[in-house]
Parts: sequence; structure tokens; C-alpha cells
Amino acid sequence: MKDAIVITVPSHPKFLSVVRAVTVTAVRLYEIDDTTAEEIKLAVDEACTNIIKHAYKGDTSGKIVLKYSAGREAFKVVIDDNGLKARPESIRGRSFDDVRPGGLGIHFIKRVFDIYKFDAKKKRGNRLTLIKYFEGKK
Amino acid sequence: MNITVAVYRGKKVVELSGDIDMYSSPELREHLMALIRRKVPSLPVNFGNVSYIDSSGIATFVEGLKCMKSYGGRLQFFGIPEGIMEIFRFSKLDRVFEIYGNIEDVFNS
Repeated sequence: MKDAIVITVPSHPKFLSVVRAVTVTAVRLYEIDDTTAEEIKLAVDEACTNIIKHAYKGDTSGKIVLKYSAGREAFKVVIDDNGLKARPESIRGRSFDDVRPGGLGIHFIKRVFDIYKFDAKKKRGNRLTLIKYFEGKK
Repeated sequence: MNITVAVYRGKKVVELSGDIDMYSSPELREHLMALIRRKVPSLPVNFGNVSYIDSSGIATFVEGLKCMKSYGGRLQFFGIPEGIMEIFRFSKLDRVFEIYGNIEDVFNS
């Protein structure tokens, strides 16, 4: 996957709007349709929200690095942070029937991305890889 | 996000615009809960100019709804753009929130 776009934003919620703007711009470069673009924008926003909440525990002095790329088969976003280690086995969305605040972010991520994977080899912080396969390339 | 409270036919209506995300939802929560604490019987919310909502914004409304239901109040949404409606449908929250096309539908409900 060539021509990657890389941005670094502070772990402050006010920069989520920047993440969304860049995500949509990146997605459009790869000629992804508008509906999928909106779903990807929401999913990447939710992933960064989770980093601010859970990895940095609200500490706004951390960094989030996003790398967008695409090849013939897929669109990929790799998100790095230096916060607390995520425990992928404990990341679970709430049931849609259990109506309460929270627990929807992970559903929004998995709705559009085919792969949602933490890099177990990363020693400090987290590396989350999100991959969306193009139609018929899965 | 911008939030204002308008008065329409003598009733308070929350008018929202812009993006509702983790950054703006605490302000939304503050305004919403201030109204709900006064036990308003119904609270119409105009989504017509909302461009984006994430799970933080949705969580704020779910919390508001639960508080209102505890005293028999009604949280009523109207003017939801299709992109946001699709998020409510995906989350099955279109069955949980009272959703109307426009303010007249709210007042006729």
C-alpha cells in the first residue's frame, strides 16, 4: 500500500474534528462511496475516542498517530498510541436490546471494517489496524 | 456544536447544530440535564442542523431519555437527517426514541 497519509493529533477530544476531516478526505482520495465514507469517518472517530478514554484515561497530553493507505484490495487505517495497553478480549459492545449509555462505539467500528486487530507485539502503547476490503476482494 | 433553547407555541424546544462528539457532548449533557432536572413534561429536540453524532452524543441522549422516563417525561426528536437516522436505525435506537418528521408532528403527537 503506497501513498500513505500520516497525521498526529494530541489526545484531546477537540482534535476529533480534525481526525474526521482528514479521514473523509483520505477516503475520498481512494474513491470510496459516500455512505461507506461516513461509516469509516464514524468508526475512526470512535477508535480515537476509545484511545482518549481508555488508553490515555482522559490525559490530553498524549499523541495519536493515524496512518491511512489503500491498495487494490483494501483501505487501511493504522492507529498508534502510547497509552495503557488495551485488553482486546474485554472490548465488547453492549447488546442493542440493553438500552443504556455507552457500548456502541465498537459496533460502529466493526460495522464497516472487516478487520479490527490490536498488534500484540507492540511493546508500549497500542497499534490498532482497521481494514476495509473493497467489494468482492474480501 | 451549537445549542439554543427556543420557545415554540409556549414550549421549550432544543435546537442543535453542528457535530455532536466526545468534545461537545458534555456541553449538550449540561443543557439537557438542566432542563430535565426541572421535570419538563416533554422536550422536543430539533436535529435538522446536526451534521454528525457519535456514540458519546448518543449516550448523552440515552441518559436524558432514562431520566425523563423516570418521571413520565417525553424526549422527542424531529428533523433527523438521513445519515444520522441511519445510525439510530443501526443501533436499534429508532425503536427507543420518539422520532418525528417535524415540529408539527411533535405537537400533534
